[in-house]
Amino acid sequence: MLISWRYKFRNSIMDRIDPRSRWIFSFAFLISATMVWSANFLFPLFIIALIWYAFGQTRWKETRRGWFLVSIMLFSMIVINTIITGGGAGGVVPPGGHVLWPNGFTVPVVNWHIYFGLTVERIWFALCQLMRLGGVSLIFVLIPYTMDPRAYGATFRGLAMPDSVAYTMELAFRFIPTLARDLSVTLDAQKARGYELEKVKGGIFKKIARIAPLLVPVTMNAIIASEDVANAMDLRCFGQAKRTWIYELNFHRWDHMLNAVSVLMLVGIILAVYVFKLGGFWVPEWFMQLFV
Amino acid sequence: MSNQSESPIIVTDLSFRYNSRSDLALNKVSFSVNPGEVLLIAGSSGCGKTTLMRCINGLIPNAYQGDVEGDITLFGQSVFDLEMSEISQTVGTILQDPERQILGTYVLNDVAFGLESLGMPRDQILSRVDQALDRMGILHLRDRETFGTSGGEKQKIALAGVLAMNPRILLLDEPLASLDPASAHEALQIFRQLADEGLTVMIVEHRVEDVLAIHPERVIYMDEGRITYAGDRNGLLQAVDYTRIKLPAEIVMDRARSDPPPKFEPILKQDPQHVDELVKFDHVHFRYDEELPFVLDDINFSINHGDVIAILGHNGSGKTTMVKHALGLLKPTRGEVYLEGKSTRSMTVAAAAKSVGYVFQSPSQMLFAPTVAEELAFGPTNLGMAKADIKNNIQWAIETVNLEEELDTPPLALSFGQQKRISIAAVLSMRSRILMMDEPTAGQDYWNYRTFMDAILQMPGFDAIAFITHDLDLALIYANRIVILYDGRIVADGPPEAVLADEERLIHCRILPTSLLSLNKLHLPATGSFYRAETLAHMIG
Amino acid sequence: MAGKKKSIWKFGTREVVFAAIGAALYAVLAYATNVLQLPGAGNVSIRPAAVIPMFFGIAFGPIVGFITGFVGNILSDLLSGWGFWFWWDLGNGLMGLIPGLIAASIVDYGALKSILLGELFVILGAAGGMGVASLSEMWVSGADLNTVIFANFIPAFIGNTVNGLILLPILMVAYAAISKRSGRG
Repeated sequence: MLISWRYKFRNSIMDRIDPRSRWIFSFAFLISATMVWSANFLFPLFIIALIWYAFGQTRWKETRRGWFLVSIMLFSMIVINTIITGGGAGGVVPPGGHVLWPNGFTVPVVNWHIYFGLTVERIWFALCQLMRLGGVSLIFVLIPYTMDPRAYGATFRGLAMPDSVAYTMELAFRFIPTLARDLSVTLDAQKARGYELEKVKGGIFKKIARIAPLLVPVTMNAIIASEDVANAMDLRCFGQAKRTWIYELNFHRWDHMLNAVSVLMLVGIILAVYVFKLGGFWVPEWFMQLFV
Repeated sequence: MSNQSESPIIVTDLSFRYNSRSDLALNKVSFSVNPGEVLLIAGSSGCGKTTLMRCINGLIPNAYQGDVEGDITLFGQSVFDLEMSEISQTVGTILQDPERQILGTYVLNDVAFGLESLGMPRDQILSRVDQALDRMGILHLRDRETFGTSGGEKQKIALAGVLAMNPRILLLDEPLASLDPASAHEALQIFRQLADEGLTVMIVEHRVEDVLAIHPERVIYMDEGRITYAGDRNGLLQAVDYTRIKLPAEIVMDRARSDPPPKFEPILKQDPQHVDELVKFDHVHFRYDEELPFVLDDINFSINHGDVIAILGHNGSGKTTMVKHALGLLKPTRGEVYLEGKSTRSMTVAAAAKSVGYVFQSPSQMLFAPTVAEELAFGPTNLGMAKADIKNNIQWAIETVNLEEELDTPPLALSFGQQKRISIAAVLSMRSRILMMDEPTAGQDYWNYRTFMDAILQMPGFDAIAFITHDLDLALIYANRIVILYDGRIVADGPPEAVLADEERLIHCRILPTSLLSLNKLHLPATGSFYRAETLAHMIG
Repeated sequence: MAGKKKSIWKFGTREVVFAAIGAALYAVLAYATNVLQLPGAGNVSIRPAAVIPMFFGIAFGPIVGFITGFVGNILSDLLSGWGFWFWWDLGNGLMGLIPGLIAASIVDYGALKSILLGELFVILGAAGGMGVASLSEMWVSGADLNTVIFANFIPAFIGNTVNGLILLPILMVAYAAISKRSGRG
């Protein structure tokens, strides 16, 4: 199995922003977008997310797979849970509202009579949800493609995590290609003993248990190897002093500006929601007119 | 007297017992080393040499707990009074498997690790890293990912990481174990050079013959936690058991004269009258991707009944890729591979396993079952054998490898050598006709791997054996046919006497001639074939 | 010697290594089984990676378990390129943390008693972890409790529990065989 990181240096605007500022912005955005349901806020946020995404200068060819997975999630949340069943909107949209087909309708050809309680409010909610989750997705899907794997340890340290935890992240990156290789060696070793992962008779239990010949050797080997790894770290003074991280992080003027924007965005939305009681769900009159 | 306190390492009456064990790992060990010396500590697995290193580098008692007696001083100071960070800047340690001590995803990060831990300023770290990389001659690797580097490069990276901390003592725990002969040779030259620059170098190794080539000033031999010999090189050659550690061939031949001749009767014999072709490579070409070069380039080769084939070749020469074709794990890009007359193209890997059984380098890559019996049943069950046959096969397989009493033991709880035999039994229980092995000696010491190979070649059950190895002596002693691969092509294929005759070709293929080869070539007119040194001793008067 | 009684909240060099290896293993397994999606698994997905945080928690304590699941899930999402989903990362972390609470009470990993205790905590871990992640959907996507339970919680809970229940005993038995090997304390 070939494991490759999706990150590439693109000399984009995003590459020039300090990773810490990027995380601060991303989380500020996540929390902000999560707090509001009003299109007055969601629309500008969505535009901000689009601009942010454009900063990354990724290509559709690379990100397509990620977006495919995201659209499955959005589809189930928006189309299935909101439009079809309505449960997805249940926490926000009050009961009642303007039902589109109060008497139900008949599907031509098969002549089924269906009562479908879709309301105008739920359609508007679906649009808001699309902006909201779409915005969050734009921000976070970008990360694997534009964040240098080397930066994670230093970044999380820079965001106030202890050395040991931040270093764990760094070490995990180090072991991914090794374990991927071990997994494929073990797969080959078991295949040479006639093991065929695909060919299993029996139910779900048998199928899951069938993974043991792969799972056990890889896991136990990794645990045995960890003794040597821990020795190597102790021998090179791990945890003996406050760690220097050679991956250099510097806040530039624009990073400070971005940090300020992130904080303002978050504080602004908190004020709007909790002090001015804005940001709740509402349906604009013009949208209602379209259906009535 | 000031000389005394300046001695890099003085060990006095050192004993140690791990908390988890009842016996002593070290028993009253004493010795000392001078600056700029190379000290070789020889001994077989379990002799206590690794424990001794852990005492010197501070892992005992900081990471491993137990009872310590005696003392170790480093430049006059007792290790037991020093902090780990102080010890690490005096003593640099290279562990057996460089793969496991590389901690950085990138070479730069790995070499910097120790200095980062010490909290040194960034620019100072960077300049020290560059110096260390330069000293090892690998400055060009600085921004590379560690994962893709070769075994020899990994060791240099590990060395650079240790040297960056400016130690005055270097401890090397079996530093040659994971290297091919050419890289091992190069590594040894580096160790000598570091000693000549003033470092004290302590090498723990059972490949004694190789280390003797760099003229260690002192040699210690350990057995069961005690020092049984301490002195110079020549004394060692006479003092130690030549079946336990690998000595130069002429010494072994000399000393073996007074012992009874070794008993070794390989079962497989080539029969030129009846050639039974089990595997056939017909103009096999292979590449992983259309944009990549060919890894195998027009391979024509067969495995016949009675063959014991050693496959030699440098790293990346295509040995493993070739073996994977015989197993059906890979299919040729062009050409065909036939197993007992059938093309592997239309065959599943499971079907191929009936012909070819494969033992991977490390047995822990395949052992998973809760008991040995279930482990051995895995293969035959996958192949769809009948219950009664499976039972018989397991019984026969376990008896063949002499581990009947372990049928109910978890394979993961066995020793490495036993696990290795279980992995052979796992192939036996499938009744595969050909046994293929990747580096059968990896991870075992000299005595263990010789016993292991002797046992396999004298056991019934296989129609042919093929093994990949870096060890020329192993090929010379056990194979009746040697194949040399170079850059994806077969450059030589034939009986050992013919293939190994041309030393220039060997060196061109990055295979280093050994003392056993020279000795055999010298006596070839009288013997007509190649033998181990112990056998030669009794053939030549 | 001091340190005989194991503290489950210690986070020294050994724990850093176990957590890093656990996270990497989780990511690789999750990524691999995504790629070679096993056919015909029906409703319950075959997700062997789910057992990794649970097992690492039980073997090496709650912090190792948490990081294994939390960082492991982040890494597998980075590998597959589908982004960063904090609440589900957190849920996977809890799936390792909760079983990790019993790490100190297990002496013999192969004993039936230990395995049964482990199995119980697999269920609790999956319930707690997937519970938190699912409930976050009420806040993040504004769904009602019913939808969250049926669309998010139940499938995730059952999938992780079934994988955990089947694979945890296998790993515990194997670990019992190797755990005596290391002399590091």
